[in-house]
Amino acid sequence: MKCGACNVDARMRDETAINLDPIQVGGRLTPEAMKAMISWGDGYSVCDACKKPFRLDYIEQPPLKDFHVDMAEWLGMGQARTVPGARRGFQQVAGTYVEKGDPVLIGALAHYTSYLSVEIQQGIVREIPKTADNHITAEAAAERIEDVITEFGRPPKLLYIDHVDYQYGNMHDVKGIAKVAHQYDIPVLYNGVYTVGIMPVNGKDLGVDFIIGSGHKSMAAPAPSGILAATEERADEVFRTTQMEGDLTGRRFGIKEVGILGCSLMGAPIVGLLASFPTVKERVKHFDEELANSKIVIDALASIEGTKILSEMPRQHTLTRLDTTGSFDVVAQTHKKRGFFLSSALSKKGITGIIPGATKVWKINTYGMTRKQAEYVADTYLEIAETNGLTIQ
Amino acid sequence: MSQRAADAVFQGLFSLTDIRSILRITAPTHELDEEQKKKVEKALASVEKQIAILRGELL
Repeated sequence: MKCGACNVDARMRDETAINLDPIQVGGRLTPEAMKAMISWGDGYSVCDACKKPFRLDYIEQPPLKDFHVDMAEWLGMGQARTVPGARRGFQQVAGTYVEKGDPVLIGALAHYTSYLSVEIQQGIVREIPKTADNHITAEAAAERIEDVITEFGRPPKLLYIDHVDYQYGNMHDVKGIAKVAHQYDIPVLYNGVYTVGIMPVNGKDLGVDFIIGSGHKSMAAPAPSGILAATEERADEVFRTTQMEGDLTGRRFGIKEVGILGCSLMGAPIVGLLASFPTVKERVKHFDEELANSKIVIDALASIEGTKILSEMPRQHTLTRLDTTGSFDVVAQTHKKRGFFLSSALSKKGITGIIPGATKVWKINTYGMTRKQAEYVADTYLEIAETNGLTIQ
Repeated sequence: MSQRAADAVFQGLFSLTDIRSILRITAPTHELDEEQKKKVEKALASVEKQIAILRGELL
């Protein structure tokens, strides 16, 4: 089916199947956001009632002004702004503090956009190594800060830490790392791309200077969307307003913020964030139910002989990395569909989101499933394993 | 201007969206429990009502 007269197929992935895609499940729209899209999808729709001082976070209808205040409070931070994706939040923070040649510390499991946000400032990344069990620790952060001081003669300008990393879905000691960083007056950027909107997050408790969340990854909003929140102490820096003046025209630009080039997020993305926000605030309180569903699926997979769970156990997040080299990949060696047998078998049972052909190392995310769906996924994996001669322990 | 017609279009689409959300939480088998069936009944009744309004307002 096409979307009307255009050449775009209607996308029905989540209406017809259970989606396990690690990056998609937390960003699926709530019914409220879908409805808001229907009426607010036009480009500059939220600007209908934009009045002086002509800035996005001052718009009262739809209630964006209140939304920004509520978001900051919910995250335990001083102020919040929307950004077109978490990466733009990284860029905004790096753009505020990092200059050419400045060192920045980044956890070794970080997303590539963290690195690029430093590169665009011509800064220099130094990594905090992961432990053998794939964690970033306060001890490792402390050692690397000292290394940077030795190498550069000054501490890093910033420290980036993912609360839950995208590679293993492991949880890292943000509080401990922030405590160490602050002993050197290093501002800490908390990457909450897999946590904000998924599980409770409070910046004050964690002791971080900035929180970045992703609307389209974890807050049930359209892409590109995200949140950048800062402590009150850092807000004047990262949300600084323009001082620019045209030399010929004398034009000035009010209180537009420099870091994100004025109004950051308009139309569908911000209305989606706004419409989903009440549900998102509520759903983080039920993360234990999400973990229980994840356990059903992961326990089933772990019971297939030869399968290894590469993420920390017990699981603290619904994103999990697995190694099935000793199970499903053994089947793939002789199956007529080779590595595609697994995704094909899952597809036939109405399960999607796994990279076609992947039978060695892969990831799933069970977030947002009902209990019935989790049991269905678990049963399906076991059925596929048994059908293909694998042993269930 | 027919505000009634505009309202009916949006309300109809919103009701269909409620059905869409039930498709999502019941995928892939779409075996609905009694509560979900009641929600679908309610949404369908709303859609039918909005269609009747649109017929009256626009045709």
